[in-house]
Amino acid sequence: MNIVEVQHITKLFSGFAALDDVSLSVPQGCVFGLLGPNGAGKTTLIRILMHITFPDKGEIFFKNHPLTADDTYDMGYLPEERGLYKKMKTGEQAMYLSQLKGLSKGEAYKRLREKFEQFGIMEWWNKPVEELSKGMQQKIQFITTILHRPSFLILDEPFSGFDPINANLLKDEIAQLKKEGATIVLSTHNMASVEEICDHIALINRSHKILEGDIFEVKNRFKKNRFSVEVSRFEPSLTDQLLSREFQIVQQLDDGHYTRFEVTIPQTQSINDLLQIFLQYSDIHSFNEILPTMNEIFIEQVEQSNQTRNHEE
Amino acid sequence: MKNKTLLIISREYLTRIQKKSFIIITILMPILLVAMIVLPVTLVLLNEKNQFSRVLVVDESEIFINNFEDTKNFEFSYRSGDIEQIKREAFDQDFDVVLQILDNSESLKSNIYYKKNLPSGLESEVESQMDDIFFDQLLQDSLKIDPVRYDHLQALAKSDAVTIQIDDKGVEKEHDAEINQLFGMACGMIIYFIIIIFASQVLRGVLEEKTNRIVEVLISSVKPMQLLIGKIVGIALVGLTQLVIWIALSAAILMGIQLAAPNLFSSETMEAVETTSVGYHNVPDAATIDIAPDNIFQVIQNYFSVSFGVIILSFIFFFVVGYLIYSTLYAATGSVVDNESDSQQYTMPITIPLILAIVFVPSISTNPDGPLAFWLSMIPLTSPVAMMVRLPSGVHAWELLLSMGLALAFLAFSIWFSAKIYRIGIMTYGKKPSWKTIFKWLRE
Repeated sequence: MNIVEVQHITKLFSGFAALDDVSLSVPQGCVFGLLGPNGAGKTTLIRILMHITFPDKGEIFFKNHPLTADDTYDMGYLPEERGLYKKMKTGEQAMYLSQLKGLSKGEAYKRLREKFEQFGIMEWWNKPVEELSKGMQQKIQFITTILHRPSFLILDEPFSGFDPINANLLKDEIAQLKKEGATIVLSTHNMASVEEICDHIALINRSHKILEGDIFEVKNRFKKNRFSVEVSRFEPSLTDQLLSREFQIVQQLDDGHYTRFEVTIPQTQSINDLLQIFLQYSDIHSFNEILPTMNEIFIEQVEQSNQTRNHEE
Repeated sequence: MKNKTLLIISREYLTRIQKKSFIIITILMPILLVAMIVLPVTLVLLNEKNQFSRVLVVDESEIFINNFEDTKNFEFSYRSGDIEQIKREAFDQDFDVVLQILDNSESLKSNIYYKKNLPSGLESEVESQMDDIFFDQLLQDSLKIDPVRYDHLQALAKSDAVTIQIDDKGVEKEHDAEINQLFGMACGMIIYFIIIIFASQVLRGVLEEKTNRIVEVLISSVKPMQLLIGKIVGIALVGLTQLVIWIALSAAILMGIQLAAPNLFSSETMEAVETTSVGYHNVPDAATIDIAPDNIFQVIQNYFSVSFGVIILSFIFFFVVGYLIYSTLYAATGSVVDNESDSQQYTMPITIPLILAIVFVPSISTNPDGPLAFWLSMIPLTSPVAMMVRLPSGVHAWELLLSMGLALAFLAFSIWFSAKIYRIGIMTYGKKPSWKTIFKWLRE
């Protein structure tokens, strides 16, 4: 089941299309990576999802009904450009933001004390926000985003400004939220974290969606039949044998213990054919397929899409 | 939904009244205000005391002996003898001035001898009393009238002019046109300052939320309109709180002074203050009826005798509507710019009318029924100030109602205009929008 369905959304800004006929589905209970270069239209899409701006064409469905203002009570949004009232006391401010999300005063207080304790920022409750470090402000913002336990969360570059320890804290928190059943849309340029925590991705470039799907399925779609074979010993004729059967050796590395071959399998051959040659001429230590990284897919797909677009124009 | 607007209002209100600067200004202002009222009165009183001088009259004509009347400032004594010798002795005997009147039946000639400073007003006082005494003498001599009968006749001939205004309903009211002008100017000024101070606070508040980007978080939970209404109402309540505290504190301080120094605000001293401040020295009249020391509130109440209820209601109306017009327009301005210095470019066209109204306050108050006063009190951007200046001097009911109606109509427009701009403005960063872009937003 999909918690959010985006159907043929077009958004124009004084003649320029920030989003052009974009459709995508966010499956319930997943971590969904919303990717794309700067200025692709991600923030516009997020604002439409949060009922902040409205599309010129198309429709959004949330839990199978057209999106309404009341749905935002069930949503949490951590914007990329985020701030707090600098002079206001931290606790007071967190209380205010939580109450705006529909929590009662008592409930907000209870949950905030709990979260402040967990994040180790209790001593800052009565200090004005301007005295807090940037990382601590980020924590406050994250806490107030999730405090009302929304079933749908949008986090825009949540890791920026966090040190590795706090970034891990945040990742654990996201994993916990997912376990509790929340759906999380993660918009980020950090491809490593996408690989690590996303289940689904959608790639937007120049107002168009150019790629969408399960992360495993996407990686398989763009794999290039490349394999890595590590051997502890090999006969010199191995390379000749490989080349004579049209296998391409992309890389050969010797780290002192093992030699690692990166090989591309041609259409005419199979994995079994490759392994037979290695079995015959070497002692295999390990064997695995090399899938493209999200980073590679991102760059390749965006460049490809830019070329076709430029060609069309 | 309403709950959230209330939540926003209370945040806007509470964060502002908890500020140190708010507390300081709220307490200091009434003290300054009271000081501005009390200081001149006290100074005048002190001045009066210092001004007291003893005058020794050496009358060679013998017409004026025992005929000078003592005033608050001058006490007259008489002596005859050699003027040179008296001059030598008098100043050691605690006299401040020696007045020598020469014996000359043709005309009156006198010399005033003094050391250090000539007491202010003495010369005119002496001249006017001498004129009167001499004239009375001449009159009595030529008409051969019995002095007692003469005094009686003179008392009958005293005149007292009272100014009376007839309003639209034909009701007559006794009042002082000058006080009305001053009161009107004060009302106009107060409205002006309240609008500028609190509308600017709205602008700064909107700008703060935009530049520190908290607005992104806020509008994912509330509608932009709720945010705007919450801010404007919250700040209006701050203004009202301040106003109420100022009035209450000022009244309390004045009451305290009244208890501590009951004579400070007698009608006599008020008159003295008034005449001193106007700049001419009033000759105290022999016929002045002595009034018992008044209550200060009665003194102030007398100033407000002109349709006080209408003035108060109109003041509240123009205070609220004027603030709302300017704060909505200022909020729209705050939403389209990225920093405060850029905002001036956009607030200028709406602030200039207000400044013009202030510039023309003296002209309006001297000619409250002239065309300038009339038109400025009709144009919604100037009417809150201009109408309040005119009102205490009296305006036709239809003029007041038309002015209020126009202001309300313009308020409806400014709310519509600002809502459109604000909605888009708070989420637009980077380059300042041109007037053309803003016009485009209006049609979206």
